[in-house]
Amino acid sequence: MSETTQLRVMDFDCPSCASTVERALANQDGVENVEVHYATGRVEIEYDDNVADPATFEQTIENQGYTPQPA
Amino acid sequence: MDTQSVKQYYRKHRQAIIVAVSGLLYAGGWSLGYISTFDTASAAILILAAIVGGYDIAKTAYHEIKSRTLGIKTLVTLAAAGAIVIGSYWEAAAVVFLFALGSYLEGRTMRKTRNALEELLEMTPDTATVRRDGKQKEVSAREVEEGEIVIVKPGEKIPVDGDVVEGESAVNQAPVTGESAPVHKANGDEVYAGTINQEGSLEVRTTGSGTDTTLQRIVQRVEEAQEAQSPTESLIDRFAKYYTPGVIALSIGAYVVTQNAILSLTLLVIGCPGALVIGPPVSIVSAIGNAARSGVLMKGGEHLERAGKIDLVAFDKTGTLTKGETAVADVAGFDAKAGDVLELAAIAEKKSEHHLGDAILEAAQDRPAAVTDGGAATGQADTNPALTEARSVPNPDDFDVVAGKGVIAHHDGREIVVGNRKLLDERDIKIPEEVGDYVREREERGETVVHIVRDGVVIGAIAMRDELREAAPGVVQELQDAGIETVMLTGDNERVAAAVAEEVGIDDYRAELLPEDKQAVIEEYRKDGHVVAMVGDGINDAPSLATADVGIAMGAAGTDTAIETADMALMADDLKRIPYAVTLSKATRWNIYENVGLAVLTVSLLLAGVLTSYVTLALGMLVHEASVLAVILNGMRLLRY
Repeated sequence: MSETTQLRVMDFDCPSCASTVERALANQDGVENVEVHYATGRVEIEYDDNVADPATFEQTIENQGYTPQPA
Repeated sequence: MDTQSVKQYYRKHRQAIIVAVSGLLYAGGWSLGYISTFDTASAAILILAAIVGGYDIAKTAYHEIKSRTLGIKTLVTLAAAGAIVIGSYWEAAAVVFLFALGSYLEGRTMRKTRNALEELLEMTPDTATVRRDGKQKEVSAREVEEGEIVIVKPGEKIPVDGDVVEGESAVNQAPVTGESAPVHKANGDEVYAGTINQEGSLEVRTTGSGTDTTLQRIVQRVEEAQEAQSPTESLIDRFAKYYTPGVIALSIGAYVVTQNAILSLTLLVIGCPGALVIGPPVSIVSAIGNAARSGVLMKGGEHLERAGKIDLVAFDKTGTLTKGETAVADVAGFDAKAGDVLELAAIAEKKSEHHLGDAILEAAQDRPAAVTDGGAATGQADTNPALTEARSVPNPDDFDVVAGKGVIAHHDGREIVVGNRKLLDERDIKIPEEVGDYVREREERGETVVHIVRDGVVIGAIAMRDELREAAPGVVQELQDAGIETVMLTGDNERVAAAVAEEVGIDDYRAELLPEDKQAVIEEYRKDGHVVAMVGDGINDAPSLATADVGIAMGAAGTDTAIETADMALMADDLKRIPYAVTLSKATRWNIYENVGLAVLTVSLLLAGVLTSYVTLALGMLVHEASVLAVILNGMRLLRY
């Protein structure tokens, strides 16, 4: 089943930082679609919940050096 | 403090701590180096400063490279590593520290911009008092079901969207409409989640809760608008795709020619398109956020940039410049009783949905006594016909609408025509001189007059008035002061239009327009090279709003169609927001230009400085970060416009 979740990253400091996070999330198994918006800090992830674990999304964002919070 | 809270504190302020530690190490290393006897120690401390400040940057750079993107963090890491390799420890530490400090400040200020909407969402309370099984119960606001009765005490925020079923109060709707003057709410009135009940206790039947409320939808739309790329943004994004590789090529080329590693690293750092790519989104997010808090919903950067070029604003007359509460001002009978004229007109108009027809019907229904010739029969617009004892008006036998002209109906074996001069001319009905005089006199006061014809003979006329909004003349003046041309579009005839136009002080007017004519007029203005904004109610005027460069819908809070079709939607029915919205758009457009200009100027100056060896690596980084911060702060001015 395809699920959608939202997170919020308030500390993006440049538009390309948002693109980097977007790519990192998209590279995860089971992630079908990711949108990361620099302007609002909104992160929207569409994933297959049989494959992907939403708990890892926050870890991925943290690995990139940003602080995720619930949307 | 136990370790847990220390950890939490560190997580929360990690970036600030890193910047501070790196800064202190840098200062220490630099001072040691200045004293000059501790060369190795100084170098070690400076390298440590670079590592502390640069660890996160390098980590992100690693991910950037892994995902085959080339971002600023990769460039900074390269520059710092390169500086260490060639022994310029001081430069390495300075670059890293300045970049970390800059990023920290930029993240912090951007957070403020992003938070503009949070304030709106925080307006909605978490809990609601509902009546379940005859008892009052406090539940989570999200769980309130449609149709449930919610009790809102004075001073409380309303937790759901709904209709008032009990009680009366004044409600501050600023979170939704941006209008801080309280609005009176009584039985049957709509209230919105997040607005504040100021006076009496209200019982509200829920129509939407949780994420299905007007406020939530507004916030969602505002976010979508902020995320949508404006033309300038897409242009810069396309440019940046070539620009960054270009900078790298330039830097390599510079090294090949000059063999100067520091020079080519400096080129890398100052070449980052930071201020250029950040400027436009910050301006747009700030402007849209500000507008949202004032009850103006802007659809996105594209519309905002276009709105910044508006040089002509066309207003629909009825309901926009006027209150849209048409009421009968006078009924005149000619060889007939005024009461009969009104009655007959009401029968003919009973099935019509035109606002003039409604006014006639209303006047006939709550006519207190017989209307005398020329006497005023004012149908109070806000009296609810359902509440007062309404006189019943018989149905017509049949009924036809002639769009933009009037109606033709039959009743009791007689033909009734209610319409304007065009309709009468079309049907070869002669208008007696005294009727013509009466009509002219009323029209010169800005009233709309219809003739009532029974079996081909004019027996009377009804004059109707739609009061001008108090704010209208001031708003028109404000737009004119801003150098914007103003035009009024109306279906009324020339004389009425001229009278109203003069009262408002508008530059020009177009009269006797059918709905499709309005679209044509706007098309015409656009062909003449104007950038046209059209202001209307968003429902009847939807086609002309869509034709205009920028369609502005008024009073859109409850109507999703209006929000959908318009480029800008004013939540409140408040004309005064128009000059604000238009001038904010203009300010935003300038702001974007300023930011792009500043960014280009900075990079050009730095480039010239580097090539002539005036600008060092650290100075280049300092100026670069300062320009990014300047651009963000400049964009944020729009939050306080």
